[in-house]
Amino acid sequence: MSVYDVVIIGSGASGGAVAYTLCKAGYKVVVLEKGRLIKREEFSKDELAYSRRDLVTPNLFDEYHTIEEKVDGEWVTTPTYESGWSFWNGNIVGGSSNLMSGMLHRLHPDDFRLKSKYGKIEGANVVDWPISYDDMEPYYTLAEELVGISGKVDKHPFEPPRSTADFTQPPTKENTVVKLFDKSCKSLDITPLVTPRAVLSKDKPGRDACYYSNLCGSYGCSSGAKGSSREALLKPALATGNLTLMSNTYVKYLHADKKDEVHHAIVIDTVTGKEKKVKGKIFVVAAQAHESARLLLNSANEHHPDGLGNSSGEVGKNLIFSGGGSGQGELHKDSLKHIKFEELMTTGLFVNRSILDWYFIDHWWDGTFKGGSVEFMFEHQNIISRARKNGYEEGKLVWGRDLGERLVSRFTEQKSIRFEVFNDWLPNDDCFVSLDPTHKDKFGMPVGKLRLEGHPQDVKVGNYIAKKCEEVLEEMGAKNIYSSISSAPPQNLVAGGCRFGNDPKTSVLNKYCQSHEVKNLYVADASFMPTGGSVAYTWTIYANAFRVADYIVKQLEKR
Amino acid sequence: MKRRKFLILGSALGLSPYIKAKEISDFEKKFKKLEPILSVVQEHLFPEGSKIPSARSMNATQFLFETMMHKSFDKDIKAFVLEGAKELEKREKGRFMFMTVEDKEKALRAYEETNYGSNWLSRIMTLTMEGLFSDPIYGSNIKEAGWQAISSYGGFPRPKTRYMEL
Repeated sequence: MSVYDVVIIGSGASGGAVAYTLCKAGYKVVVLEKGRLIKREEFSKDELAYSRRDLVTPNLFDEYHTIEEKVDGEWVTTPTYESGWSFWNGNIVGGSSNLMSGMLHRLHPDDFRLKSKYGKIEGANVVDWPISYDDMEPYYTLAEELVGISGKVDKHPFEPPRSTADFTQPPTKENTVVKLFDKSCKSLDITPLVTPRAVLSKDKPGRDACYYSNLCGSYGCSSGAKGSSREALLKPALATGNLTLMSNTYVKYLHADKKDEVHHAIVIDTVTGKEKKVKGKIFVVAAQAHESARLLLNSANEHHPDGLGNSSGEVGKNLIFSGGGSGQGELHKDSLKHIKFEELMTTGLFVNRSILDWYFIDHWWDGTFKGGSVEFMFEHQNIISRARKNGYEEGKLVWGRDLGERLVSRFTEQKSIRFEVFNDWLPNDDCFVSLDPTHKDKFGMPVGKLRLEGHPQDVKVGNYIAKKCEEVLEEMGAKNIYSSISSAPPQNLVAGGCRFGNDPKTSVLNKYCQSHEVKNLYVADASFMPTGGSVAYTWTIYANAFRVADYIVKQLEKR
Repeated sequence: MKRRKFLILGSALGLSPYIKAKEISDFEKKFKKLEPILSVVQEHLFPEGSKIPSARSMNATQFLFETMMHKSFDKDIKAFVLEGAKELEKREKGRFMFMTVEDKEKALRAYEETNYGSNWLSRIMTLTMEGLFSDPIYGSNIKEAGWQAISSYGGFPRPKTRYMEL
C-alpha cells in the first residue's frame, strides 16, 4: 500500500486549498470525501432535487446529529431525524462551497483581537487570536485571485486594508434595484458597498463567467463561475497528476499508534461497504467544524483516551455559528419609486450590496460594542418555496381559487428584497460538540451531539442592526417589512471547536493549525477560529487553509 | 423513541434492506386504497377555473405517489400522508368523497381546526405545489403550465433525470 505525503479528510473550501498548494508543490496528496462527485455539466437547477430532498446531504435516517437545546430551563436532546433540522451542508466533492451564494468579506484586523479591543464579556469565552490580520492578508489576496472573487474597492473606515489596489474581476452585473438601494442609503447617511462575490464576472482559464441563471445559492454552478473548491482548486490540483481524489469514502477514525503521530485513516468505501487503511506522512482534517471535532473524538485510543490531540480537553468546545438573522420587504408594482418595475423583474442579476457602517458601534447613547455586517439580496428565487410561503392568510391555509389569485399577484406584481445580518456568535460554555453516548450513524460510529446556546448579547446586536436595515427598506418604499433575529444557529455558518492558540492547555492547535501534541496532524477548516468575526466564514477559511498549506510545505521540505 | 429503537435493531441485525423492500410494496397497496380520497382533496384545494392549473389537469395524485416512492422521501411523512387521509375518511364517516363542493369546504375547514388536520392539509398543499412548480420532468407542471401561470420559470440547465440520478 502506498503512503501519501498528505492525507486530507474533506474536499470543501479548506481541503481544496490545502490539496491545491501541496499538489502544486509536487507532493502526493489524497483527498477523502464522503460524498459523490457531481461534475459541472451534471449540475442543474432542479428545485425538487437540490432544495427539497436530501440529495446532496446524507439522509437523516442514515447519518444525523443529536441536538441539545434548553427548553424551559432543561437540556433536551433531539436527534435530527426527528426534527428534520439537518446539520449537513453539501456532502459532495467540493463540499458546501458548491452551493454557497458566495457573498464574502475579509475579517477586520480588530476581529483578530476582540478581547483586547472590547475586554471581557461576562459569560463569553472571548480571546485574541495568536496571529494578526497582517499574517492573513497575503492569503486573502491569494484566495481572491485563485478562487475568483469579483468586486470593487470602496473606501470605508471599517473595510480592512488590502495589499492590492482592486479586485482582478469587476463586480457581477446588477439589477436596477441597486439605484433605488444606493439612493435610499445615501438619504439615510449610510454608505452602500459593493459585495465581494465568489462568482466570476469574466472568464478565467477553464471557467466561464457567470451566466446569471437566477438560481445561485443552494445550487451547483454550470459555467464554473462560482469559486467552489471543486472548480477553483481541486480541478487544477488534479491536473498536476499529484492528487488522488477518493469520493464516496467515509473516514471512520484516524489511528495514532504513538502519542505524537497519526499512522493511518480507517475508511469505508460507501459504495461497496469495504473498509481499508489509508496511510500518510501528514493528516489534514477538513470535514467542517462540528464534524472535524467529532472525527478527533472518534479517534480516541490508548494513546489518546480523550480523543486525538485532546489532552487539553478543548476538542469540540467553543463551537460558534453566526449571530443575526434576516429580514424582508416587498417592492410593489403600484408604489415603486425611481426605477421601472419591468427592470426590477429582470431575473438573474445580483443585488451585490452590503453595509459595514455598523461593524463597530461607538455611539454616545447606544454605547460601544462590536456590531456586524449586512448583505442585501433578492428573496431566494426558488419557485416552490416562494409559492408555499404565500399559502397562508392569518394563520389559515389559502386554497382554491383564492390561492390562484394570490400566487399570480405575488409572482407578477411584486418582488421581495431581503437582508441578512451577520454578527459575532460569542463563544460560550454551552455551545459545543461532543460524542453522543448512544446514537450511532449507519457506519457504526457515534454521532456528534451538539449543545447549542447563544449568548444574549448576540440577539441584542442582531436586533440593533436589523432595525437599521428595516429603515433602509422603508426608505426604499418596501411594504410588509419584517425581520427575525434569533438565537437559533444557522447550521451552514459553523466554526470553532478546535481553537488555535499559543497555550497547549487552552487550545487544540498551534498558530499554524497543527495539533499541539500530534505533530503530523492539522485541522485546516474553520475549527481553528476562537472568535468568528461578523461576516460569512468562507473567504477566511480559504485564506487560512492556504496559510496552513504553506506551512505544511515547509515542514515537508525539512524532512 | 420507538423509531430509534427500530433503527438500531434493524441495522444491528442487517435487516434494513429486507424491511425497506417490504415497506414499499405495503405502501403501494395502502396508497392505492386511499388514492380516490387523496385525489378529491387535491382537486378541492387546486380546483378547475383557478388562475393556476388544477390538480386534476396536472396529474397531481400520480406525482404524489411517485415522489413518495422515491428513496429520498421521509418515511414518517409518507405514513402521515396516508394516515391523515384515513382520518378524514373516518371523521366524515366515509362520505367526504360524495359531498358537494360547499360541504367539502366545510369538512376541510373543520379538519383544519384540529392541529393534526391543519398539518396534514398543509402537507398535501406542499406536496401538490411541489409537483405543480417543479421541473416538468417530474410529471406534473405539464408543458410548464404551472410556471406559465405565475410567469416564473426554473433556471438553466434543466434536469435531464429525476432526483439527480446521474
